[in-house]
Amino acid sequence: MAEVIHLNYHLLPIISRFGIHLGFGDKTIEQLCTEYNLDLNFFLVILNSYHDKDYFPRKHLQGFPVKLIIEYLRKSHDYYLTIKIPLIDKLLKQLSLKDKGLNGESMQLIDKFFNEYKDELSTHIQREEEKVYPYIFTVEEAFRQGQANSDLVALIRKYSIDDYESEHDNVEDKLYDLQNIIIKYLPPPLDMNLCHTILMEMFRLETDLYDHARIEDMVLVPKVRYMEKWIEEHFTP
Amino acid sequence: MDYINVIIADLSQLSRLGLITLLNRMKYPFHIREISTPDKLTALPAKDQTGIFLISSAFLRKCPPSLIHSLQTRLDSMARLLISDGEPGPEKNFRFSDIIDSTDPGKNITRKLEKQLSLIYTQKEGPDSPEGISDREKEVLRLVAVGLTNKEIGDKLFISSHTVITHRKNITAKLGIKTIAGLTMYALINHLIVPEEKPDTQ
Repeated sequence: MAEVIHLNYHLLPIISRFGIHLGFGDKTIEQLCTEYNLDLNFFLVILNSYHDKDYFPRKHLQGFPVKLIIEYLRKSHDYYLTIKIPLIDKLLKQLSLKDKGLNGESMQLIDKFFNEYKDELSTHIQREEEKVYPYIFTVEEAFRQGQANSDLVALIRKYSIDDYESEHDNVEDKLYDLQNIIIKYLPPPLDMNLCHTILMEMFRLETDLYDHARIEDMVLVPKVRYMEKWIEEHFTP
Repeated sequence: MDYINVIIADLSQLSRLGLITLLNRMKYPFHIREISTPDKLTALPAKDQTGIFLISSAFLRKCPPSLIHSLQTRLDSMARLLISDGEPGPEKNFRFSDIIDSTDPGKNITRKLEKQLSLIYTQKEGPDSPEGISDREKEVLRLVAVGLTNKEIGDKLFISSHTVITHRKNITAKLGIKTIAGLTMYALINHLIVPEEKPDTQ
């Protein structure tokens, strides 16, 4: 495991998302998976798809149970909301303290923009966890058991997974806009290094969100769409 | 985009205040100057300035002919609006862009001002900003940032919603900003709008 991290330190937040703590000595990935009760194949596929942008075994990923995928997605949500966003927030506050005089107005704008972004991201995540995921579990359960009632068919017709796929864009665009505004249009802040750190954190968050959405849109959504279709075909009254 | 200069030449302080209230409601980046007596008109800005010049009939009647003549030359590039009280005056010596009846309801006055503003934005051919945004695009951007819909923007600028969408696409391509929140922030940074104009909720 240690070798993998030396090879690509960007995987650190990924392994922490799976609950693996540092200090694992010379243990192999397999040993750690056993220790932490993780699905070795799933863990490897996720690590690889984060490590190599061209590696994206869509078909392979779709073979994993929905529960495993959603569990992972939930952990990433948690990472965004409890670690990444508060970190950027804290850095922005530091920058705004330093820049109170000269760029006070601009800093207020960034703060306000970022707060709005934060709210939007939280609402989006909350919706996924409270509405979308339970819906997916219901669909999967019905599919697995080969049983569905007319209520479920009606629900699928009313709310299909396709509706949810289209909601990602705006959250991503907002973060991109904020980065671009800081890079191109704001007067330079006093503490350049701090500003660079903030931007780099934002870029990392952006990349992570992108990979996250990729798993949702290319793995989860097609899988659910397939099950929805199957249920509709077999249980339409 | 710079602020839009507005000069109000009116003897009555109440009328001036009334106009200022109307103008502020229109939410343009106005830079308003009040002139209470003709002698203060001599301190007017140099030639070729764009913007809106509002003058009341009563004020105009107090102006000596020589002043009226020089005003005509100096204010040539501004939209000149007479606020008429219905009494005949020396306005025949002065070419006005439009005439506002002082008893008009505020809505009509706003409409006439909007029309002049639209012309100002169309005619303005100043050098483009570093981002290559034209003045017309800036105007669209401004209205997007204050939260208007494409249809509302079209109505305000006398263009179709389709044209508004084209402008918006160009703006996004030039600035690299896609969201309304981002465009609003750009507009605030560049003083295209003042902070109070920004809608509180997105």
